[in-house]
Amino acid sequence: MRSPFAYKPRRGPLQDASPGAAVAYLGAIVVVAFLYLNPLVLLAAGTAASLAGILAGARGAVRAALRMGLSLALLVAFVNALVTSRGETVIARLGDWPLFGRVDVTLEAIVAGVSYGLLAAATIVACAVYSACVDPDRVLRALRPFAGRSALTATLVSRLVPVAAADAARLRDASALRGPAAAPVGKAPLARRLLAGSLDRAVDVAATLELRGYSLGAPRARNRRSRSRYDRRFYAAAAAVLLTAIAGKLLGADDFQAYPTVAIGFGPATLAVATVVTLSGLAPLRRPMKRRALHAEVARV
Amino acid sequence: MSRRRGPAVAIALLMAALAAAGCGLGPGADVGSVELTVTREFGAEPVLQRSLEAKESDTVMRALEANADVETRFGGGFVHSIEGVAEGERGGDPYDWFFFVDGVESPVGAADVELKGDERVWWDYRDWSATNHVPAVVGSWPAPFTDGIAGKPHPVVLECADGGSACETARDALEREGVKLSSGSPKGAIRMLVGPWDRLREDPAAQLLEDGPGESGIYANFVPGMRGQIELLALDEDGAKARRFGRDAGLVAATSRYGGPPVWLVTGGTAAAVREATDALDAAHLRDHYAVAIKGGKETPLPVKAQ
Repeated sequence: MRSPFAYKPRRGPLQDASPGAAVAYLGAIVVVAFLYLNPLVLLAAGTAASLAGILAGARGAVRAALRMGLSLALLVAFVNALVTSRGETVIARLGDWPLFGRVDVTLEAIVAGVSYGLLAAATIVACAVYSACVDPDRVLRALRPFAGRSALTATLVSRLVPVAAADAARLRDASALRGPAAAPVGKAPLARRLLAGSLDRAVDVAATLELRGYSLGAPRARNRRSRSRYDRRFYAAAAAVLLTAIAGKLLGADDFQAYPTVAIGFGPATLAVATVVTLSGLAPLRRPMKRRALHAEVARV
Repeated sequence: MSRRRGPAVAIALLMAALAAAGCGLGPGADVGSVELTVTREFGAEPVLQRSLEAKESDTVMRALEANADVETRFGGGFVHSIEGVAEGERGGDPYDWFFFVDGVESPVGAADVELKGDERVWWDYRDWSATNHVPAVVGSWPAPFTDGIAGKPHPVVLECADGGSACETARDALEREGVKLSSGSPKGAIRMLVGPWDRLREDPAAQLLEDGPGESGIYANFVPGMRGQIELLALDEDGAKARRFGRDAGLVAATSRYGGPPVWLVTGGTAAAVREATDALDAAHLRDHYAVAIKGGKETPLPVKAQ
């Protein structure tokens, strides 16, 4: 069984785009999530990342990331409601708890928690789309001229998630093949095995890179892949998102206050930022090819 | 049947236990009215004054945030600014917001002080270059004698040392406010010491006055004057000597020793000065002052302004 977050080669604008363009595009969505606390804009960032993933064919990754992100958002909201007693609108009085002290659940603490949770969910979805749609080998190749001596770190960073996910899937398959009478494998032993395996893999990667002379110098130009015709689209989307987000921030689009009473801004600036960010999720939309471009593509293949 | 009843009984018992522990839905019932006062410069400049109905879930911070424009720090536990007036340095002196509940400085943050009803919450923005610890003030009279400390009633003891008729005046003032005086030395009692300073200074709590505002929180001292008589000396915000009131001036101030209950000092250099001080035991003379010097029936809030 393959992890939904593992990179799967597909044809599509996001997969075909150069790593720089894809990272800029998805990174811009993450930057918006970190710049804003307004739940409407955060929702827009999450929607944009989900839309981008679905259009890029990573529906499974988006679904899994949404499940994970929304669970995390709920957990953050729940914990914030318990540890923060600020806010005027008391929903429940839970008395005095050990470690927490007096616990008053307030509407404001829940809304603040939901806001932080949405930030985390949007970031998780964007990272899941990156992991499923951006070829890690191409990212490595793109990084090599800039950080030849950091090959090991770069490799581990870019391959860790897909390799660990594949390892986990193999371990689960192996465990299932032991038969129905075998004791189930818990998550903790599996995680321990994955950690130990990742360290082994790090050593293997280091040895392989050294054998290949990875740190000797940047590759020649013939190894470089030409720029994709989709790059301009993703760079433009990233620039539009970032510029709108920064301008919106300066114009007060991040109008959100959780304490002492909830105040969520739905002004024109906030709506404009949310609209632009949501629409940016359509960037990976595949346009029908013109006949001449189709011929050129066929000839290239 | 009994198997079906089991969870229902467990849930009912849990709900009963939660209700008994003070848990419930919503902000809870009204517990009484609370007076909220915000001032600057040791009470000299009023900022706002509100009377509000407190509920079970209300804290000092919640009451403040509901009635004033407040900015907080450190997760909402520390007041940074009220009505746009923020902590910081002014003219080289450190300024900050401090609060008293029923005339007693709170040992915990405003978010952790629950309101029980009938309190007087006083926020003041002041220069704390002389001290950041003023354990008790007189500006919430008749609190804490009437309401106790942190919503808990405390016995009140009036201790007279050669006070003469002044002692009776003090007793009348307290009883007029509905205070029931205790006799002896009950544990945890709020004490009011009445008498000339040369007698009161034998009390360990009163003696703190001579160690300066850093120890007592009182911006005044008694010093020998001309002909060896004791005179009241007022200090300024920096704790420096600012004004001599002479031997006929009385003092009403409050302090606390080792974080214990407040000890009020109603005193002066002479018997006449003590009488002046006891005559000032009312809200008209004491309201919103840390301590007061009384001379000729007229009060001067302490600390006095630096010359």
